[in-house]
Amino acid sequence: MSSTALEAAPLKQHRSEARLSQATLLRVFLRSLLLQASWNPQGMQNLGLAYALFPALKELYPDPDELMAAVRRHLTFFNTHPYVAAAILGGVLHHEQKISRGEENPDRVLAFKAALMGPLAALGDGFFWLSLKPAVGAFCAALVPFLHAWAAVLFLILYNAVHFTFRWRMYRIGLAMGDRLVEAVGKANLPRRGIRLRAIAAASAGALAAWLAIVFGQNEEAAWAPLLAGGCLVVGAASYWLVAKRTSQYLVLYLAAALAVAAGAFL
Amino acid sequence: MVIWSHVGLAALWGGLLALERRAFLQAMISRPLVAATGMGLLLNDPQSGLAVGMVLELFHLGSANLGAALPENDTVAATGAAAAACGLAGGTGLSTPAMWSLAIVFFVGLGQAGRFLDRELERYASRLAAKALVSAEQGDLARAVRQNLWGMWPVFVVFAAVTALCAIVGFLLSPVVSALPLRVARGLAWAYPAMASVAAAIAARGSHARNAALYAGMAAAAVVAVVAVYVASGGHL
Repeated sequence: MSSTALEAAPLKQHRSEARLSQATLLRVFLRSLLLQASWNPQGMQNLGLAYALFPALKELYPDPDELMAAVRRHLTFFNTHPYVAAAILGGVLHHEQKISRGEENPDRVLAFKAALMGPLAALGDGFFWLSLKPAVGAFCAALVPFLHAWAAVLFLILYNAVHFTFRWRMYRIGLAMGDRLVEAVGKANLPRRGIRLRAIAAASAGALAAWLAIVFGQNEEAAWAPLLAGGCLVVGAASYWLVAKRTSQYLVLYLAAALAVAAGAFL
Repeated sequence: MVIWSHVGLAALWGGLLALERRAFLQAMISRPLVAATGMGLLLNDPQSGLAVGMVLELFHLGSANLGAALPENDTVAATGAAAAACGLAGGTGLSTPAMWSLAIVFFVGLGQAGRFLDRELERYASRLAAKALVSAEQGDLARAVRQNLWGMWPVFVVFAAVTALCAIVGFLLSPVVSALPLRVARGLAWAYPAMASVAAAIAARGSHARNAALYAGMAAAAVVAVVAVYVASGGHL
């Protein structure tokens, strides 16, 4: 038996038990918060992904050649929703541990990323960007007249309670389940929850429009109060119609401002 | 007179939030409502920050960063307009709806300028990505992955500078605003609720709800009805 073979035996044994430490897992999660630091049109989140995974890859692959191969396979194109990326990151670590133990081919992790980044991006965009963010934003904006600056604090608490819980849970699920994380994401029923949140956003915006019209009308001289309050409501309804007809929202905003300035100056 | 410590704080906040918006965390501290309110608190004028932030939050409610598409940069619009509003108020000693209107009218367009800057900054990030690949080829893996962090500093510098400029413009405009005829000032004061109504309508539209008009209309009608009943029963708002 050659000396190289004798030296390789303990390494093989060590790597057959390769598991990432809790500290490394936490480090990867924290570094994933910088996923989009160098977002670029070619590789999109590729640099961020490689940066996040690097501590784990270093632990899994003591051999420099294997480490280089592992880093290079994560410097390829990658793009998904930044929150849902936590699930993919967990899944990638699940696969990389298996690859380092020799239980899987490196192609599996590439296929895993390629298969999931698109569908999960669509799910994350639909729920977080197009539902939760508008709902919490409109709801808290509607509370500004009552909570003042605390409305901004409430915004951060409500949004991030969902955001960070989701991000951390998805990371752990990806880590534990690998490819089966799709089932867990499916169970979260995000599209249905998104529909409800969008209704909250629309209702909050409508309620705020009415409240602001009344309050600002009341702040003016008594003679002008109904005109200003009614005018604001009419302007709001007309704006909705104009924006629905694809009129530039900047044009609508400037038109309303010009009308109000003229009315305030000459009436 | 320009208060340079306020300009410095505005720059710091504007730069940090530009990073939070896309590069780091994305905990929505960079949303207009939070960003502008924070700016107001830092510059000792939370009322102006909140008033500007509420309107811009609603105005940009429907925008989203989907795939490779770049939305308008609502963060720089909010931090810039809020810094200018605080500058105006600081210069005159008053925080009024007329000043909030002026700040919104002049600086809401920063969202589009910010998108242009974002696009330009992506070119720098592309160069970093190319450099990372070269470093990986050469076996310097730590350097390769570290390129990710270098993408942040130009974002901070560019948006800090833009926000500082807005604060300075706010201070410089304050004597002009003080000299406005009363009629114009009254008109500008009326413009604020008008713009808030427009922004709320745009927000209802931007909610992406299937029956947005119905939900918004019903909620508005409910508010009007509750207020009418309350006032009719002798209550005061």
